[in-house]
Amino acid sequence: MSHPRVIALFPEASFGAALNCVGIAQQLRHMGAIPVFLCHPGFTGMFAEYGFKEYHLPAPSQVQAQKNEDYWQAFINTHLPHFNLDAEEQLPTYVAPTWEAIVDTAIDAEAGVESLLDQIRPDAILLDNVIMFPAIVRSGYPWIRIVSCAETEIPDPNVPPYLSGLAPEDDAAVTRFEQTYLNATESAHRRYNAFRKSRGLRPLAPGNFLENSDRLNLLLAPSAVRYSRARPLPRERFVFLEGCVREESRFDPPQLPADDGPLIYMSFGSLGAIDTDLIGKMIDTFATLPARFMVNVGGFLEAYQHVPDNVYLGSWFPQPSVVEQSALFIHHGGNNSFCEALFHGVPSLVIPYCWDGHDNAQRAQATGTGRRLDRTTWSPDTLREAILALLNDTPMAARLQRISREMQAEPGARRAAEAVMAAIDVSH
Amino acid sequence: MADSRRNSRQNHIALAQQVIGVVLERGMNPGDHLPEQVFSEACGVSRTPIRAAFKILEEKEILAWKEEEGYFLEIGQADGLTEAAHRLEDMEDSLAQRILSDRADRRIGDIQSISALVRRYNVTRNSVLNALKILSRDGVVTQLPGRSWAFQPMFDTPKAVDESLAFRLTIEPQAILAPGFVMDIKKAGLLKMRMQELLDTQEGHITSTGFLRLDTEFHSFIAECSGNRFARGALLAHHRLRRATQKDISIPDFRLRQSLDEHLEILDSLERHQFELAADQMVLHLRRSRIRRPEAANRGIPPLMRGARQ
Repeated sequence: MSHPRVIALFPEASFGAALNCVGIAQQLRHMGAIPVFLCHPGFTGMFAEYGFKEYHLPAPSQVQAQKNEDYWQAFINTHLPHFNLDAEEQLPTYVAPTWEAIVDTAIDAEAGVESLLDQIRPDAILLDNVIMFPAIVRSGYPWIRIVSCAETEIPDPNVPPYLSGLAPEDDAAVTRFEQTYLNATESAHRRYNAFRKSRGLRPLAPGNFLENSDRLNLLLAPSAVRYSRARPLPRERFVFLEGCVREESRFDPPQLPADDGPLIYMSFGSLGAIDTDLIGKMIDTFATLPARFMVNVGGFLEAYQHVPDNVYLGSWFPQPSVVEQSALFIHHGGNNSFCEALFHGVPSLVIPYCWDGHDNAQRAQATGTGRRLDRTTWSPDTLREAILALLNDTPMAARLQRISREMQAEPGARRAAEAVMAAIDVSH
Repeated sequence: MADSRRNSRQNHIALAQQVIGVVLERGMNPGDHLPEQVFSEACGVSRTPIRAAFKILEEKEILAWKEEEGYFLEIGQADGLTEAAHRLEDMEDSLAQRILSDRADRRIGDIQSISALVRRYNVTRNSVLNALKILSRDGVVTQLPGRSWAFQPMFDTPKAVDESLAFRLTIEPQAILAPGFVMDIKKAGLLKMRMQELLDTQEGHITSTGFLRLDTEFHSFIAECSGNRFARGALLAHHRLRRATQKDISIPDFRLRQSLDEHLEILDSLERHQFELAADQMVLHLRRSRIRRPEAANRGIPPLMRGARQ
């Protein structure tokens, strides 16, 4: 009798990737495997609450922890205005420094990852990140890539550039964006390739920080919003997932003093929650609408006073359960959020501020599964009009119900787990 | 006398809500019978108050009474049972609850005048005064010199919950270790039964509110048994405040069940008079409950555990 497979999941230190991996790990557990997590400092205990063993990368010293807090303050001061720029303008201002920081993260984590993999000795590693940690390749254990960002992360002539928010047919802008992206990431990429070389890995092409796995790649790209690729990805190595929704505890909407109308959920992710001014102004508009609003304000609850009677603020929601009960989901275009909305047949009002949020905003609009609203030019009237239009769009509701039925017939988390188990069992 | 009638009615309304919680947790359907004995055990009270709670639910057309057969469920979850439970709060004497809830939800500030509350709730000055008296009895508000009232700290932010757990880590194990700890075995048995029933529900069916209710009852019970009167008083007041104002708890199903298992283990140790073991298990339980998610995280950025300064 073979031993249960130990699968080491290594999500990047963001909620989207972490919770996406929780969904896959829950299904792997149902199939008899033992999923464990490589855990960034700060995420300690988060996976344990879902019943998974954690292996921790070294925690920062107290001095470093203080520096991290200072870093965040500097980050807010520096980058909050950059979120008001368009996708191309963000390349030198936000995307380039973020890639530099991602490269730093990979370099800093390398020794810790190597040591933890020696300790775990997994049957396979699931990497949900945007960059390769050389220790994973060097370990010799089979590794699988999860692309939990938008599908644009894997380039193709028919797919608009990653982070561009462009439509594929916008040829001139696509060409200009691609060149600007390469220029903006050139410094970080050169540094990363030097690091890879020092660890015995081959260099990657410009703009590319993570190779595809030779064994299996999982893409969180439901068929309803997927592009038709000029060079289709080989089916034996690339599996598209119809969402990747985790099992979560049930959410009972609280009673509000003004408790009428459809339920609308808004979350911009933990990073988006730092823009309390924007969210505060949106809440003022929500007060004028005949609906109930659940608003995720992350760690900034104390920044809000005089909350309207039809609005409820929380620092954390069991999102899949809330979205399931909602008539509309206002979000930042994070791929997990977008896919959860599609999975439950809920229209998206996407207000992107960075990264692949731009791509999903464009895609929601193009596929008739939602609308895009610009975070800098919206007014109370345009926000109100967008919300009411989405709530009353009967053809969109019918389309989303069909999409939801199709996605729920083949849940992505289970499909991912099946593909992982099959890939491990194939002798390679 | 009027006060006492009102309080009794309030207790029955609270119990009626508890009954609906049990109905939801057990996934009961319209037409199902609600045996008094079963619900009296599930709610940890005698049959008399259960009858009063059933009567309120009958008035609200949530239950139906059949001669010589008892009470039956009229509406299920699909028919708006959860909403019906919420509407119970709109009944008489719920002004205190509305004020408390509005404060916990940051709709009103922490200092309030009587006249501002009269305007907001469109009720008489006497009603507001009565509501504030009810809240002050639980230590939720205190009267300031003049005509204003001040709300005490509440469980309305993750930081407040964290501070509460730090406080409880100091006091709750000591409440167990203090000489004179005496446990009511019958009450402990009822609590254990209800926890086991919650554990027996289908995965994902335990709600945060249902869990919080039982959790505060368990921890209040431990406090009641303590031999140290000051630990007892401080913890009972603290758990009353938790129950009244803690919101926004969203805990994965695995941790809810693990937490209930920890409660059961603590009660088992206490039954065996293994107080040191029970105190250690309480430390473990509270430490596990104290895990906090990072307050902000994104690629390329170290996760932030504390609120960033704005």
